[in-house]
Amino acid sequence: MFRMGKNDHATIQAILDGDKEAYGELVRSHSATLLRVAWRITGNEADAEDVVQEAFLRGYRKLETFESRANFGTWIYRIAVRCALDRISGRTRDEVCRVGEEIDPEQDQVQVADEAAGPERLLLSGEIAALQELALQELTATERTAFVLRHLEGCTGEEIAVALGIVPNAAKQAVFRAVQKLRQSLAPMRVKA
Amino acid sequence: MKHVSEEQLVEHFYGEGCARVEKHVKSCDQCARALADLAIDLAELRSPQLPVRDDSYGERVWLDLAPSLPAYPKRKRSWLNGVWLDYLPFYAALGRGLGFATACSLVLAGTFFAGRLWEQKKQAPIATAPKPVQPHQKQPPPQRVVVVVLGDHLDRSERLLVELKHADADSAEDIGPLRDEARTLLVANRTFRQKASETDDPELATALKHLDRVLGELANRPGGLDAHGLAKLQNEMKSDRLLFEVRVLRSRTPEKQVRSTIQASGGTI
Repeated sequence: MFRMGKNDHATIQAILDGDKEAYGELVRSHSATLLRVAWRITGNEADAEDVVQEAFLRGYRKLETFESRANFGTWIYRIAVRCALDRISGRTRDEVCRVGEEIDPEQDQVQVADEAAGPERLLLSGEIAALQELALQELTATERTAFVLRHLEGCTGEEIAVALGIVPNAAKQAVFRAVQKLRQSLAPMRVKA
Repeated sequence: MKHVSEEQLVEHFYGEGCARVEKHVKSCDQCARALADLAIDLAELRSPQLPVRDDSYGERVWLDLAPSLPAYPKRKRSWLNGVWLDYLPFYAALGRGLGFATACSLVLAGTFFAGRLWEQKKQAPIATAPKPVQPHQKQPPPQRVVVVVLGDHLDRSERLLVELKHADADSAEDIGPLRDEARTLLVANRTFRQKASETDDPELATALKHLDRVLGELANRPGGLDAHGLAKLQNEMKSDRLLFEVRVLRSRTPEKQVRSTIQASGGTI
């Protein structure tokens, strides 16, 4: 899951010795990984790029606290997860709802406006991803991040707990609640399909 | 049969379930169907297509980021916080070795001085405050006993020889007591001869040998000591200078020591 450059520690020493340009090597090495996880968590390309920038910026400022025994890839990955979590935590429910969406108070689930496009069309056109994204947006920031890390990034419960700064049992609960909500959200679509 | 909960199924799906759940799912159709449904639902939640980025993405991120990053101040490498850190493992190993050697030296030095102090402490009471010895408990050294008794023996032998020198063979009153005294001294004299040979004192041994011959002749001569025998003894005493030798030997023993020793043992001179 994490990539660790062989010379990352030497590079970090060089940076701390005043060689700012050396940080460019780390940025180039880990940008793609951070973009992937940031995009999966935020679900937004622009936000994901901002998260990558912010993560590297935070990492640079905290570089003196980086322990030589740690893996820089893991370390900056966690920073990116936190940045992404912070970003989606700031969103309001209204902000993530798209035009034409409305909340069903009884079922407490997102219903997507048909706009003359049936489920078949959604499936065929690949817009099922958009439905999934909407379902994901309904999750809390922690649930969404935990689910992404578990389901898409393949992290273990322990790794999720460390990345989110919570206990492992809370991480498992967050994943379970996310799965439960997603299944409920996507159940009507499956029936229609 | 207690079925597996949805939470346990989720954990099992992600490979973190316990063996009991796995065993139950294999044997329970209901839970197996629930797991299958869960797998179908989660399989649909695939990762959407990631935004396409070429290899230069990292470089672009860096170019955007670099202007906002201040360079860390160059760390000054002083002797205490700098270059020597590069050789820290070497210094650490060297320090451990020197530390061990120093510790061993300190232990040895401490042991040595502790031993010296212990010896001094042990010897101090003997040198500074000798334990008083009661007169009745005092055990004179073996050599001193010999000296004291030998002095007495020589004293008595000298008197015997003087009397023998001036004795009259015709006077039974003179010879009788001398013979008795000679018998008494003869036994002691042989003891002293043996002791003198053991203590490597040839002068004393020679004198006691001459004295032994005279005392033996005086004590054990068959038929008693007649005029001829007496004259012979007197000549031997004269030729051997026995009386002189006895006096010399007696003078070797300090008078004061002889007196005090005899007084300590309850005797008198």
